[in-house]
Amino acid sequence: MTEEVAEKKKLHRGGRNLLLLGLGSVVIALITTSISLAVYHNSGDIYIDRSRPGFLPDEKEVEEEEELEDDYSFPKSGVLSADILEEYLEKLDIEVKAIDGYENPFSSSVLSDEKLGIPAATEEDS
Amino acid sequence: MRRFLVVIATLALSLMTLPVGAIAKNQEEAISDHCESIRNSLKMVQKNDAKARVHLGGRYETILNEFLMPLNVRLVENNLPSEELVKNQNEFADTKTIFVNDYIGYQQNLEELVGMDCKNEPAKFYEKLVKVRQKRKTMEQDVLKLRTLITNQINIVTGLRSKVK
Repeated sequence: MTEEVAEKKKLHRGGRNLLLLGLGSVVIALITTSISLAVYHNSGDIYIDRSRPGFLPDEKEVEEEEELEDDYSFPKSGVLSADILEEYLEKLDIEVKAIDGYENPFSSSVLSDEKLGIPAATEEDS
Repeated sequence: MRRFLVVIATLALSLMTLPVGAIAKNQEEAISDHCESIRNSLKMVQKNDAKARVHLGGRYETILNEFLMPLNVRLVENNLPSEELVKNQNEFADTKTIFVNDYIGYQQNLEELVGMDCKNEPAKFYEKLVKVRQKRKTMEQDVLKLRTLITNQINIVTGLRSKVK
């Protein structure tokens, strides 16, 4: 009889330990996730993460990106000639064209009253 | 003494005539009425900005690491160091860092703006919008400065090309 009670107690204790282990794991996971999210947010990575909902690139955009890929790197060593510098300028021009492809990035007009549909202040209000 | 009093009175009068908020009643009503559509426009701006930041940031990184830095190393190796190019490289690197940090500040403010209750607090919303505009203006200036530095690089290298055999 006492053996039966001891067995039941052991089982009960085992179940409780298992529950504590589970809860502990959840708490640890919550803490580490919160830390990761804080780092992700504070480092500013969140603002350039285009895998966020609503920030995914369009299909057309992905195709354009693939077309623009160019892995040129100007060699750090070797002789320098006019031809080499000419090639350098040509390759640099590809990057410049890609940058200029963005017409007025961060232009102020995008956030103007007019663009946002906010009317001009009427005389009697101002 | 009389002159002093006149100055004080003028100052007080000018302060009283200044608008308390930078927003008029009709604007307040419009923000409140079209809150959701304004918010959607801002979300679209946010998405396009993320796209511009990623693409431009990548290009700036490439220009710095694959063009500006290697050329200076190679010039030194060839006993042709260019003070102008080194200065341009350093300025480009510094401005790129400023661009990255300014973008974080701008987006933090924009995200706060998108999360604001423009329906019930249009004046506060507009106040924040003005702040976001200032931050965006800084971004615009950063991009223009980086573009100018790239043009400088092209001009200096073009000049160098005519000197090298």
